[in-house]
Amino acid sequence: MIGHAPRASRIVGVSRLGDSAARRLAAGPRVIGRVHSVFERAVNLLGADGRLLTLHGPGPLAAPFAVALDERLPWRELEPGIPVHREGRGRLVLGALRLQYSAAQVVDTSIGAGSDPRALAAALAEGPRPPAAPSLASGIALEGRRRLAEGLRRRDTERFVDGARRLIGLGEGLTPAGDDLLVGSLAVARRFRPDFVLENPAIGQALANAAREGTTLVACEFLLEALEGRFSETVIALLVAADVPGARVALDDLLALGATSGADTAAGMRLAVEAIESAPLVAKAHR
Amino acid sequence: MALLTLVRPSFYQDSVALLALARELRARPDVAEAAALMATPANRELLAQAGLLTAEAAAAGPNDLVIVIDAAPTAAVPARARAEELLSARRARREHGGRHAPRTIDGALRRMPDADLALISVPGVWAAAEARRALARGLHVMIWSDNVSIEDEVALKQLAARSGLLVLGPDCGTAYLGGIPLGFANLVPRGRVGMVAASGTGMQQVAALLAAQGEGISQAIGVGGRDMSLAVGGLMTLAALDALGADAGTEIIAVIGKRGAPAVRRAIETKLRAIGKPAVVALLGADIRTGTTHGITTVATLEDTCGAIVAGSRWSPRAFSLSPEDVRRQVEAARRGLPPGGTAIRGLYAGGTLAHEAALILEPWLGPIDTNMAPRPQPLASSRSRHQIVDLGADEHTVSRAHPMLDPTLRLEAIAAAARDDDVGVLLLDVVLGLGAATDPAGDLAPALEAARGRGRALAIVLSVIGTAADPQGLAGQIARLERAGAWVLPSNAQAARAAACIAGPDRVMNALLTENSP
Repeated sequence: MIGHAPRASRIVGVSRLGDSAARRLAAGPRVIGRVHSVFERAVNLLGADGRLLTLHGPGPLAAPFAVALDERLPWRELEPGIPVHREGRGRLVLGALRLQYSAAQVVDTSIGAGSDPRALAAALAEGPRPPAAPSLASGIALEGRRRLAEGLRRRDTERFVDGARRLIGLGEGLTPAGDDLLVGSLAVARRFRPDFVLENPAIGQALANAAREGTTLVACEFLLEALEGRFSETVIALLVAADVPGARVALDDLLALGATSGADTAAGMRLAVEAIESAPLVAKAHR
Repeated sequence: MALLTLVRPSFYQDSVALLALARELRARPDVAEAAALMATPANRELLAQAGLLTAEAAAAGPNDLVIVIDAAPTAAVPARARAEELLSARRARREHGGRHAPRTIDGALRRMPDADLALISVPGVWAAAEARRALARGLHVMIWSDNVSIEDEVALKQLAARSGLLVLGPDCGTAYLGGIPLGFANLVPRGRVGMVAASGTGMQQVAALLAAQGEGISQAIGVGGRDMSLAVGGLMTLAALDALGADAGTEIIAVIGKRGAPAVRRAIETKLRAIGKPAVVALLGADIRTGTTHGITTVATLEDTCGAIVAGSRWSPRAFSLSPEDVRRQVEAARRGLPPGGTAIRGLYAGGTLAHEAALILEPWLGPIDTNMAPRPQPLASSRSRHQIVDLGADEHTVSRAHPMLDPTLRLEAIAAAARDDDVGVLLLDVVLGLGAATDPAGDLAPALEAARGRGRALAIVLSVIGTAADPQGLAGQIARLERAGAWVLPSNAQAARAAACIAGPDRVMNALLTENSP
């Protein structure tokens, strides 16, 4: 379906894009998919493979599957349903819009293993704590959080998955608060307890299935990327900050996201850091 | 109660919008609960636990928006209609290109790439990080927020100084940059006077008095109340003076604030001498020696700052601009019914520097004044002096409430309390007009003043209005309203304080003031 096709074609440059987005654009079919949803600051494209790409304006990548344009998105020219296809090598066509990504910087959105969570822990402990989504205080969420933390603390896969399942799709927002929290916890686990996630493929499989069935498309995409170890630049900046002042600035950036998305993600990171820090000595020795 | 459901299949709305929508619905009368959630299995369970899972909600899928309203039967349908209206309005706004305010400094910069100043007004704990971000992008910064730590202030100002940038504040309420008023500001003409002020209301008083004399402002740079302390070392005061020295539109410089650290005062004087433009310094303190040396005139009050600028070398301080006869007549009228031999003054101020100035003026005539202001705040609850000057804009009074220049509630309560205190014979107030201030301060205060005077005992009300004829509240109308409420309105805060001293003190105080004698 083509909506109000604009008369004049317009080319907008892509400044940066995540590595997984770059791979999908390079390897995918000529027909990428269609415009899925249009927001004030972003447009989601739904690929034929059922995965999302998010287009937004200049700045840090808001998601590992994001594409940052050189200028603010000309969203008025787009409507859900407009087909998206690739033109030549390095140009996306959305109606009359052409996004030139051949010269874009490809950003590594994967997170490597780290050994010292002290800067992150201090920033999370001392930094501001704006209220998270109210649903994260519900009985279901509290139980899910408790099990998630316990699973991580005791390296108990079953308990971790059980807690995560209770949180998936739970709460306010287009990316429900429970999903944001889970992404935050997965980011910390991937960085500071990578073996727990990587050596337990059951975690990835179970949570990917739960995400596909249990939450919105956008939240599902965040979770699938997180399970593969990729996160937004904002989350990565906080995880890899070398010192407390750097972590505080990154935390401020994270907390500024969405209505409560940033606060919910930070809550998940705090939960995971506290769980790791309070892990039994035997478990800690695995670090 | 009735449950009504609205399901929008495959409907995508950002989280901010959904939360705001739910909040607005919950605030409606007779609505007990409202939820706006994506219908994921977990959220359906959440709805079930809250007793809100209707059949329509249960049938919806993870990518469907579901809104459930629990309300009185008469309220449920209008609430659902409102929900539909809000969803449609937001979509229409997007489709018709409605602009939205940027939410980050980067977003604002994209909107206005040639901007060179960021005004930061976020809770204090966030302000320093935002200021760092703005400085990193080459922007001057005005920090309106208070509750920024002294360590952060020093670090920000050192960073700014290294980058050739200015940090105005923290707690900088007023500035005029390039002819643009920022924060609480009176509408004044552009002119030849450049100001550096560690005080918002002090700057407003001087700017308003200058405007009344036909003088205007070239640039006025607020630096925050702590800049002239030893800890900050006047970093931004000195940088701002450099800027005014280089500004071709600035012919004369005024420096305004509280006393400041001696080392900083010396550095300011050295800087002013090096700049070489005529200057007036009003760093208000008890032991200030007034006079002119090397083209720098030191004065003791905000009003004298204006006088020295306007009259130059012909200036000499005066206690009142009214004739002695007029002052005597007004004082005698105000004293009618008050106990002979003196009464207590209760100063209830919105402006911190105005309160400080009033205390400095009153003390030599009436003895110790209790205040809640540094450098020697007194515990007012166990007051030893009968005279009190209270800065109602001080931090302890503004926790979780707006500043008294915006919200009169606290001052109205304090006026009522003073009226019940038989020892209090004189109320001394400031009323600040201009951009950012309350829309009708006189209208807010007048009923409380009338009620205070209507208690069957004598109570004198003395005040000054800090404003200009161009201010949106209307200076003449504000003064007229306050006078109808029984207030004696004087042209400046200094004169109001002296008038209060004349009323509350023994005759010798008035006689000395009217003959321009020292205490």
